[in-house]
Amino acid sequence: MHKILFLLFFISISVIAQKEMTPTEAVALKTKVKTRAEAISTVMSEFTQYKHLDFLSDDIVSQGKLAFKVPNLVKWEYTEPFAYSVLFKNETLFINDDGNKSNMDVGSNKIFKQLNQLITASIRGDMFDDNEFNIKYFKINDSSLVYFLPKDEQFSKFIKAFHLTFNANGDVIEVKMIEPSDDYTHIKFTDRVVNKTLSDAVFTE
Amino acid sequence: MRYLLSSLSLFLLIGCASYPVQNGFEPKSDSPKKTSNPYFSNARKDYVYKAKIDAFNRSFGGIFIVKKLGAEHHRIAFTTEIGNTIFDFTFKGDDFRVNRILKDLDRKVLINILKRDFKALTQEHSPVKKNFVLNTENILQTDILSKKHYFYYNDEQLNKIVRVDRNKEKVEFTFTNIDDQFAKQIEIAHHNFKLHIALKAFK
Repeated sequence: MHKILFLLFFISISVIAQKEMTPTEAVALKTKVKTRAEAISTVMSEFTQYKHLDFLSDDIVSQGKLAFKVPNLVKWEYTEPFAYSVLFKNETLFINDDGNKSNMDVGSNKIFKQLNQLITASIRGDMFDDNEFNIKYFKINDSSLVYFLPKDEQFSKFIKAFHLTFNANGDVIEVKMIEPSDDYTHIKFTDRVVNKTLSDAVFTE
Repeated sequence: MRYLLSSLSLFLLIGCASYPVQNGFEPKSDSPKKTSNPYFSNARKDYVYKAKIDAFNRSFGGIFIVKKLGAEHHRIAFTTEIGNTIFDFTFKGDDFRVNRILKDLDRKVLINILKRDFKALTQEHSPVKKNFVLNTENILQTDILSKKHYFYYNDEQLNKIVRVDRNKEKVEFTFTNIDDQFAKQIEIAHHNFKLHIALKAFK
């Protein structure tokens, strides 16, 4: 009985912690993200990725760097525990798998593209596309949590939902991609540097 | 002419000879009752590998994951680097289940190849049919999914599994960089078509 009460207590705490935004608050968030986006030309960030599979004892952890340059150059580079990078350039996906270069990949292509679009769009501030996603807005203390549920039936078989967390400034600090099985990939961004000159060499294939 | 005939008969003889004869295996009488593959036997461990797959002139990478969930029960998944599941299989006793597979790869032929490969890769024990020696190696013959498999041991350490069909090597599984009961590098090489899987442990 005590255990149940204890559990209920925590459930109610988490319900309080995550509260749905009013339409006005949602509009305010969109405006904040957009205003912030208009002032951004480059972003560099470290990230840590946690892959959660229910049947594993621990999440699979990898780390790397993200680089973005307007209008739409994005590079994801995993550095630990393996070397692997994906570059989005001119609508093409360039992969460097520990020195082995290619410009295609099985499965990840569409996912990466969609994720890339989301990240790019969130930095630019035009991510809130009601044609592509059912969108839900929540607030947790100072940060905002936005659920993007893909409307495309084929795509939703890949990814059921994207959850993006914004800090008080309107920067994306976490991305969670949830698969139909409820397994997920959780990416946390740290050490974000904005508008530092980024040479094109960073985005060389 | 005589030379040609004798070479031809030699060729035919070797060609038809069984895999153990072709390779000069010596039969051995005392033999363990079961094969032993310890590399995916620890239920407390998450086996996580960076994978490189070369298939039919295409090359792609991902994360290969194996988890032992109980006796004769393994879950095997392959995801992209960013974590999206490409396939996810369950092996439990004689049962095999596809929990998830990318639509583009949902082909019976491919699933059967992967099923055979991963069953041979993870099966901990299988009844020994014959036992051989070759130099310092001890070789155990067994059947996995009705196909002949030869398990090569050196100092009781498993370093290779070979699947043989009609006396020919079809698939070779090699285990290297072995730390206790953990194979940090694994290769699965198909000889009759272009499929090569290289696995390198995360840590």
